[in-house]
Amino acid sequence: MAEQNAGGPPEPVVLPIPPDFPVTWGYPKEQEAPWEFDPMHFPDPFPLLEAEFLLPIFEKGMSPGFASYELPVQALGHVFNNYIYMAMVPAVPLEEMEAQGKRAEENLGATIARLQERWHEEWLPAIKTHLAFWESFDLENAALPDLLTHFDASLEHSNDLWNIHFQIVTPVYTAMGLLDEIYRELFEDENVFASYQLLEGFDNKTIETNRALWDLSRSAAQTDAVRAILANNASDAVLAALQESAEGQVFLQELRAFLAEYGQRGPTWSLSQPSWIEDPTPAIKNLQDYIDQPEADPRVQQATLVGEREQAVTTARHRLAGYPEQAVGQFEFLLKAAQAAIVLTEDHGFWIDFKAMYKVRRVLVEVGQRFVAAGALENANDVFYLNTDEVHQAAAALPQGDLRALVDQRKAELEHNRSLTPPHRLGTDYGPPPDSPLSRSFGKFFGLPIEPQEDQSLLKGNAGSPGKVQGPAKVVRSLAEAEKLTQGDILVADTTSPPWTPLFSTAAAIVTDTGGILSHCAVVAREYRIPAVVGTGTATSTLKDGQILEVDGDNGIVKIVG
Amino acid sequence: MNILWLEQPLCQDVALVGGKAANLSRLAAAYRVPPGLCLTTVAYDQWLAAGKENGMDTWPSALRAELAQAYQELAQRCGLDLPVVAVRSSAIDEDSQDASFAGQYETYLNITGVDAVAASVSRCWESTRSPQVLEYRRQYGLPCDNIQIAVLVQQMVAADVAAVVFSANPVSGQRTEVVINASWGLGESIVGGTVTPDTYIVDKESLQISERQIADKQRMTVAQTEGTKEVDVPRFMRSQPTLDDEKAVEMARLALALEEEMGWPVDLECAYHGNDLYLLQCRPITTLT
Repeated sequence: MAEQNAGGPPEPVVLPIPPDFPVTWGYPKEQEAPWEFDPMHFPDPFPLLEAEFLLPIFEKGMSPGFASYELPVQALGHVFNNYIYMAMVPAVPLEEMEAQGKRAEENLGATIARLQERWHEEWLPAIKTHLAFWESFDLENAALPDLLTHFDASLEHSNDLWNIHFQIVTPVYTAMGLLDEIYRELFEDENVFASYQLLEGFDNKTIETNRALWDLSRSAAQTDAVRAILANNASDAVLAALQESAEGQVFLQELRAFLAEYGQRGPTWSLSQPSWIEDPTPAIKNLQDYIDQPEADPRVQQATLVGEREQAVTTARHRLAGYPEQAVGQFEFLLKAAQAAIVLTEDHGFWIDFKAMYKVRRVLVEVGQRFVAAGALENANDVFYLNTDEVHQAAAALPQGDLRALVDQRKAELEHNRSLTPPHRLGTDYGPPPDSPLSRSFGKFFGLPIEPQEDQSLLKGNAGSPGKVQGPAKVVRSLAEAEKLTQGDILVADTTSPPWTPLFSTAAAIVTDTGGILSHCAVVAREYRIPAVVGTGTATSTLKDGQILEVDGDNGIVKIVG
Repeated sequence: MNILWLEQPLCQDVALVGGKAANLSRLAAAYRVPPGLCLTTVAYDQWLAAGKENGMDTWPSALRAELAQAYQELAQRCGLDLPVVAVRSSAIDEDSQDASFAGQYETYLNITGVDAVAASVSRCWESTRSPQVLEYRRQYGLPCDNIQIAVLVQQMVAADVAAVVFSANPVSGQRTEVVINASWGLGESIVGGTVTPDTYIVDKESLQISERQIADKQRMTVAQTEGTKEVDVPRFMRSQPTLDDEKAVEMARLALALEEEMGWPVDLECAYHGNDLYLLQCRPITTLT
């Protein structure tokens, strides 16, 4: 942490490079940037091609997205030892930061006032235009040169989508953060969750997906044969078993229809991992859980949340009845904005982070398929271990060439790097970012740094979702490991993306390494009304399967009780 | 004679309704004064007599019925089922030019329903005998027995901004300028001194704002069920000006007109609800020499 100067900004501190995480700086400025690791979105090391497609998220997505509001910061991206890092640096000379920050607040305010309009009239149509680019291209039958042109163009479309992504999330998280701030000021309420009750129960694409999955589980429960197959097979064996019976095949049709609509998503923010369409095991695991949870009907849960929200809004309005119009008006303005925003926190992800990135993945895998067909690669997914230049060179050389040795070498490198512990920061530390509504909202999204605990039986994190519950820990490092989670377990994960959320009806509580009160995990845990402690930093590395935990979501504390 | 409406000519009789209500009554026709009624000294005497006979706070039933009917009529005038009112004492020698009695008598804000109104009126009447009031009266050489008091019941203005306006500078004595102290919410935080209000000084001749001091306004009084409470001002409003130039000048004009009307420099309380400026109180500035 940079040391505070008396009165002035903190003195920048060049951070030492950890001995077990070798870094060679490129151009000198590289070391001057405040690189940060983001384990909430990118906890794992990425193979080359995937990193090449995801890295522009920062410079081609976040930076122009921020610039559209004249925010005085821009983002840089870098890969160190296969791990993705980002850095926020000033976009204008330091003396102009404050004035431009004020302009940015005004610009954000103007969009906060019309989030729904911009979503429906501008952002969603633009997203759909990009999706049409992929949907109108016949991947399997394209000639190789056309496929390669499409491959290059896919990166451009992906970058444009990330630009839209940050035009959306920047005002969205700011709106929710500002509502929370004004709520606590007006009502002098210390309950960290109180303002979020005003945002509960709205429909979004994550909830819609889970509802469709639930409906599928009701359909499965009605047919004894299908029910038996789901009950008696491991998740990854269900598909084969379904194919063997007539009833199973009928249900398979339904499952495929669900996947076509909602399965365009992988387990996390990734291109190299299979989508649910390619590997529906996570969806089947959810179906199996839902079969035995007749009380988990999402419609009933949502109705409860809507009732609570309306009550909370009525109470808040009643308490504000005697307040000056300026205060009431600002509260109503932010309430409307944050209610629109909370829907977009999930929906932007459905369309961009998952659906569009699934389209990108398909292009990359199809290129890999061509190499497999020519015998240059063993598996289509191995294409991720090449970079774009290598893809073009190897494609030009086809049918000659063999990339398998190169891929093996890259895989070995990646596996080696997987064993490294990426430091949270690299380069230069400039201290905490200057205070602004956006930086405060980012703090609620990413979570606040947690002080290490002396008491070994205690794990401190951020309050994510209220309630206190006990249960056995299940450390789930990827959705593929979700099989071991059973009713009443405490789900311990480094991060949970939207495709994890159907598991929230099986888990008794959630504990994560990453995130704050506005993280995806915390928002959805509140919708499922299960306690969550997020952003512990170390839960997956210190907790063990079977340990009995007490999760106190209100206070952000996990106790090992047995 | 027990209850008089502000716009009734008889309501200008200080001996019946006290200085505060009489002053407002004089102005009710020409200025935007919230609709209201006054329980006169005649009503007070009846209440006092009934109390001596039957114990404290006993309302003669006819008077109580009259109050209920008047509240009903106020509801009609306000176009509301249950109008929210302010209940203030209006002593006979209060708001005289020599002693303002500011803050000496009880005021009950945000009162709804006839039962609550009656209870508040009783408390106003009882407050004539409070030790603070008696001490104040002794200091000003006013009689301490046979105190006469009336009570004013007025529709409550949900103030966005309240202000105390002086048609002459009460500190410097300068009579060529209007001084406005304005802050968020109801006027109690300004009057009670718990907030540093914005100060605007307006030149009487030119109606130009000669000085603007925008304060960091930390606290405000807001209406709460059956009363008020003082709360923190939300951060985004603290250093925001409470009045734009147009509103400050409108207040100054009001003070000038009232000074002209009354014939003496005035100290008035007023409030904006939306773009409507309401006159809440008007009394002489007692500190000018």
